[in-house]
Amino acid sequence: MTWEHFIYFAIGAVVLWAIGAWAAWKDRTTVAYTTTTLGLLVFFSFILSMWISLERPPLRTMGETRLWYSFFLPLAGLIVYSRWKYKWILSFSTVLALVFICVNLFKPEIHSKTLMPALQSPWFAPHVIVYMFAYAVLGASAVMALYLLFFKKEATDEEFEITDNLVYVGLAFMTIGMLFGALWAKEAWGHYWSWDPKETWAAITWLAYLVYIHYRLLPKHNPRLALWVLILAFILLQMCWWGINYLPSAQGSSVHTYTT
Amino acid sequence: MKEGFLIGGGLICAGLMLELSVGPVVWEAFAWPANGVVLAGFLAIIALIFLLRNKVYTCRFIGTYQAAIPTLVYAVILTIIMGLTRQTENGTWLNNMLVFWPFVLIYVYMAVILGVVILRRLTYLTSWLRLRPSRLGHPSKLGGSRCSVRWLRDIPFLLNHLGLFLAMTTATLGNADMQRLRMITVVGESEWRALTQDGAIREMPLAIELKQFIMETYDDGSPKRFASEIQVLTKSGKRIQTTVDVNKPVEVDGWKIYQYGYDTQMGAKSQISILELVSDPWLPLVYTGIYMMLAGAVCMFILGGRRKRV
Repeated sequence: MTWEHFIYFAIGAVVLWAIGAWAAWKDRTTVAYTTTTLGLLVFFSFILSMWISLERPPLRTMGETRLWYSFFLPLAGLIVYSRWKYKWILSFSTVLALVFICVNLFKPEIHSKTLMPALQSPWFAPHVIVYMFAYAVLGASAVMALYLLFFKKEATDEEFEITDNLVYVGLAFMTIGMLFGALWAKEAWGHYWSWDPKETWAAITWLAYLVYIHYRLLPKHNPRLALWVLILAFILLQMCWWGINYLPSAQGSSVHTYTT
Repeated sequence: MKEGFLIGGGLICAGLMLELSVGPVVWEAFAWPANGVVLAGFLAIIALIFLLRNKVYTCRFIGTYQAAIPTLVYAVILTIIMGLTRQTENGTWLNNMLVFWPFVLIYVYMAVILGVVILRRLTYLTSWLRLRPSRLGHPSKLGGSRCSVRWLRDIPFLLNHLGLFLAMTTATLGNADMQRLRMITVVGESEWRALTQDGAIREMPLAIELKQFIMETYDDGSPKRFASEIQVLTKSGKRIQTTVDVNKPVEVDGWKIYQYGYDTQMGAKSQISILELVSDPWLPLVYTGIYMMLAGAVCMFILGGRRKRV
């Protein structure tokens, strides 16, 4: 199995996921579960056959890690869906998975890109995948905050509960991603936390979401201010994600920039 | 909330005055046993604040959201400043936030708040455990669900907060006991001296002989793998043959040995290998905190924001 076969598996999986997403909107839960799971099986069979033909887990190149994002996004979407029955979550996870699949289809030269020794670790994929999922869910919470602030004006309790749940799930994954990073850093660089610019901004983002969560638990609080905190936290997250690549204070001092 | 912001602001002012009067925080002074004493004192202060919560208003206040939220906001702001300014080891004030008193005091205050809320939650739990037999005597549906919800709330709460408290305090206080040294090994020669971060030479409790330096490259010449086949001799007489790879350190007698570098001019023909030796006696405590937080995060994912409905 090679990358040439990828497109067939990708189309099959995306079609199944799209049917699942549609079924979720129509409240056909059984169809949604079945097709999304089938799509995951189709996609995973490609990963598995790549694994066998490469004689190593496909985690080394960026293209290979994107395979895992594309796999884990609908899986996480399915878990969230089964937990809270949000109609839109499967559409959201399908679109995100599609984005990563398209990058893999249209930027194939990255497949063969070499991976420096520092990145060759079993921690690499979980660390990045978990973070990507956190960013996706927190992105959804930011969209929700924008909607409630500027379009809906008056948020219902249920809408706030959705927003809170998204933040809890996103922060849970962000915490896991950050701590996986710490455990990996100990193995790779000898210390679990070095206040590298990326780590500093990860701490900022993490604390900012803690502000939201604790403020929402305050009995007498201003809901609109809470939503503003959420938007601000997501802006800080952008800084952590890609903004530091352009930040003068982080130039040349971050071990998280792998541009060679 | 105003009070919380005032306290935080006061701490920052106090920090600025300390910075001006005694200079930056000297973390090196916290080497064992000083850090053990400081930790014991710190825990005692937290316990005291907790015990005085019904007598002294400030002590009660420290365990509230009104205290926690402003502190988090200050921590975010100070850490943003840290993220926007270039941090250097010899920097002063904003250029070396880790030894800047206002930054340190806000984080210490955050740890105090964490400690107090943990103790408070623990007493809730124990009082609930004491009450349980009587509750079980009246198996009303409401009581039963309330009990299970308590557990669902309190266990993740303790994992998250105690985990963070443990990881934060032990990582900070244990930092002075952490040793990181670089050893330059040459093929066929036994080496027992290493360089500290200040460039001083130290004799190590173990000797390392580089048997072979391994280097593999990709087609474009960029490094694919570099590793050292080494033989370690310890003071206790152990003789260990092993290979140290990037991302795969080897642990011998409490020292983790890392592949750090090589002679980049020689590349694959390098006759030397630079190893890093790290000892961190507080690591098990920090890891306990990290694993607790991981478990807490899993709970948070499973339970979501459901806690507010209680």
